[in-house]
Amino acid sequence: MIFRVFAREELKKLFDAMASKNKIVGPVEIARDHNGKPLFAFNEVNSFNDIKLDYTTTKLSAKKYFLPYKEDLAAFRMDENDWQKKVDYNISEPFIFFGLHACDINALNKLDKVLMGSVYPMPYYAAKRKNMFIVGIDCTPQPYCFCRSMGADTALHGFDMFITDIGEKYFVEILSDTAFNFLKNIRTAEPIEADHIHYMKVASEKNKKFTAHVDTTDLTKILDMEFQSDVWKQWGEKCLACGSCSKACPTCYCYGVEETVDINLRGAKKTKKLYSCNLIDFAEVAGGHNFRPERHVRLKYRYYHKHRGFVEAYEESLCVGCGRCGEACLANITVPEVIASVRGEEN
Amino acid sequence: MDAGLVRTYLGVPLYRPKVAFFEFSSCEGCQLQLLNNESSLLDFLALVDVVNFREAMKEKADDYEIAFVEGSITRSDEAERLKDIRSKAKVLVALGSCACFGGVNQLKNRFSLDWVKKEVYGNSPVETEPVRPLGDVVRVDLKIFGCPVKKEEVEKIVTNIAVGKAVAHPKYPVCTECKANENICLFDLGEPCLGPITRGGCDSWCPNSRFGCWGCRGPAEDANVEQLKKIMKEYGFSEDTILDRLECFGGFSAFADTLRKSGEKNKGTSA
Amino acid sequence: MDNQLKFTDIISEALQKQHRKSDLSTFEYTYKAEITNIHRLTEMENLYRIQIIDTEERRQFIFQPGQFLMLELPGIGEAPFSISSSPARHGDVELCIRKAGNLTNFLSRVGRGTHVGIRGPFGTNFPMEKMHGQNILLVAGGLGLAPLRSAISYAQDNRSRFNSVDIIYGAKDPSQLLFTYQYDMWRADDIGLSIIVDKPDSSWKGPVGLVTKILEQMFSERGNPFFKSTYAIVCGPPVMFKFVCNMLNQKDIPMQKMFVSLERRMHCGMGKCCRCNVGSTYTCLNGPVFDYWTVMNLKEAI
Repeated sequence: MIFRVFAREELKKLFDAMASKNKIVGPVEIARDHNGKPLFAFNEVNSFNDIKLDYTTTKLSAKKYFLPYKEDLAAFRMDENDWQKKVDYNISEPFIFFGLHACDINALNKLDKVLMGSVYPMPYYAAKRKNMFIVGIDCTPQPYCFCRSMGADTALHGFDMFITDIGEKYFVEILSDTAFNFLKNIRTAEPIEADHIHYMKVASEKNKKFTAHVDTTDLTKILDMEFQSDVWKQWGEKCLACGSCSKACPTCYCYGVEETVDINLRGAKKTKKLYSCNLIDFAEVAGGHNFRPERHVRLKYRYYHKHRGFVEAYEESLCVGCGRCGEACLANITVPEVIASVRGEEN
Repeated sequence: MDAGLVRTYLGVPLYRPKVAFFEFSSCEGCQLQLLNNESSLLDFLALVDVVNFREAMKEKADDYEIAFVEGSITRSDEAERLKDIRSKAKVLVALGSCACFGGVNQLKNRFSLDWVKKEVYGNSPVETEPVRPLGDVVRVDLKIFGCPVKKEEVEKIVTNIAVGKAVAHPKYPVCTECKANENICLFDLGEPCLGPITRGGCDSWCPNSRFGCWGCRGPAEDANVEQLKKIMKEYGFSEDTILDRLECFGGFSAFADTLRKSGEKNKGTSA
Repeated sequence: MDNQLKFTDIISEALQKQHRKSDLSTFEYTYKAEITNIHRLTEMENLYRIQIIDTEERRQFIFQPGQFLMLELPGIGEAPFSISSSPARHGDVELCIRKAGNLTNFLSRVGRGTHVGIRGPFGTNFPMEKMHGQNILLVAGGLGLAPLRSAISYAQDNRSRFNSVDIIYGAKDPSQLLFTYQYDMWRADDIGLSIIVDKPDSSWKGPVGLVTKILEQMFSERGNPFFKSTYAIVCGPPVMFKFVCNMLNQKDIPMQKMFVSLERRMHCGMGKCCRCNVGSTYTCLNGPVFDYWTVMNLKEAI
């Protein structure tokens, strides 16, 4: 791995070099909540001043850029007795993520496994994934962050460069030659021993700041054992079955497909909408039978998929511990509390 | 379009029904919604044969298959007229919250009729009854929710009827669409919102403008009203704030009645 | 240096349609097919004969009994259906479809010559080749005969490779019996066929009750050695296959020699949308055909 350091003022120059010819998506402040706390989101940015690199977790993940909430899979042109299907992967230009946290990069790595690595790779995702350049940025753990428990607090791959603030300088890991070339636009230097020491100090201080934890020991087995536990019912009583958790989540990829006829009847569309396993009709089949009619059964299924099924298939959890689902849940259903209760631990 | 030519979709002949629009106690805003976008109006009119639409045309005929009925029933003569429409229509569609649940009009039911008459009409009272949704008077075949209805949704439903496709309402709550629209949660902004329990399909119309949901489309399937009451309380909203919203359009009347009764009981015991 | 990122066209690299599972361009690829015939089986079920129009594509459409395909009517919808015809007929398939929802109701109104879309075939299959040299017992309840019919066709096409082939078929009442016109042909191919209905009408002369009744009769007639060299395929509602499989297990048929087909509502068929998951297993990838041992270990399957 290649490391470099550069002075703080160089970062703007790097941004400008990237922004001069490319679309950039980064964290911006979109509003203040009723307590005056800033709320962040990933949006397209044009100016370095608009970007908030010290942002805390965005309310929604960045997934609209790689798993849009709504996306046409195909359009049909309808003729009298025939039709033509036109498929479009809905991306026409590459773009740069400027300032993704490690959890969100890990989310992409996990999605890669199921959406690109397995049989039937999904071109709608792959086309976007292959056209993104990622600048990662370090972060400060928030009270809801449990990425460390999920092994997602550092990103080992899946980005082009990763920037860490080590005080007077930025420390940067370089994973692609494109990133290496971009860095030619600014003045960088080989890190010296003092930079390494600063980096390690920042990392160890970050580790001390985690307050939320999830015990994943034997979790797949425990979820199996406690499949009939009444604990699920208690969470089910609170669940609003609104799917906000899935919509905020950077790794929830479940969807539904709907076809619609244009009002002029000359065309039709096949549309993919991200769905949520917590929504009442997620497992409903033709004729009306619902395999998961109860809220607690659906909520349990979501945990089962994230923390057991995915582990079974890929040796790792589908959860990155970003805590967005708990933050989005008005009923305060959080992963650390649900898992602790399933494990029979008091909170 | 050529009147003699039967259009088809995938070889199946289209059903071009004769439709009529009617209104009872309402603001007629739902009907207006349908006329309100010229770009798709002609396509819409090609799908149906409108024989009666007071807001849009002079001609009137009683020969219709589908009756779109807006408004709620507040007088005995309205009930009779509705029964007459029902007897003529093969399919009766309740259009909008007034027709589906009583709508804003049903707020009147909280007060005594005498007080209402006096308050509204002063010294020249007119006949009035407790407000009823269409379904309390006649059989309703299809409900289209919303105050007002969403034009795109009505067009989709009419297109589906024409090609013979099932009409299905979303079962999930407004939050599902609101999150997909990347809105900031109104609770984060300190605003009350019925989005978590109200039926979606409106594409989170109000929250898109940072305006909390008032529940005009009635409850989502499996709506967890009890939990939302707790959440509202935690966010510091009074029981009256919740009740105002639950009662506003009539879709949550069962929940609102229970809440009102328990509220009154609590006040009774604390006094 | 040039700071502009280059657009990556993921398809240009491999545009030839290989129809391989790893080929990005096949994800949303639809074979255009034509409904060549519609045969009314009962009041609720039709048998649709659907032929992929391009002869080369038709020839290359290779499936195994038990697999399903996604049938698409543009603008109306897309849904999974198990293939009911012989694998020897490639992309000239038959689908037995019940009017149950939006797509199938529309389908009941289309005519011959309608162009539809087909994606697939998807999912696991009944391992017919493994069963060579053995007896096969095919138990169907209701619409469960639809996926089973492909396995029956395979047995007919390869009759010499199996010892006894027996079908036990149960329906609610005689009017719901499917493929009645084929019963004599099956028997002619030396396939045992026992039919039982739960609610007989006045004309019904056969046995009355559930498929388990026929099975018990078979148990009393045939000895344990018969069942020791038997594979079973059981298709029907979960309560039915649970009872049948448990009975067969008592006759020492190992759970791994019993196959069932699970029904879920896939939206993609390719292990992406998660709509068909049972527990956390994709019915579309790991199923729809599972051996009974696997089903026993799936949360939420039964």
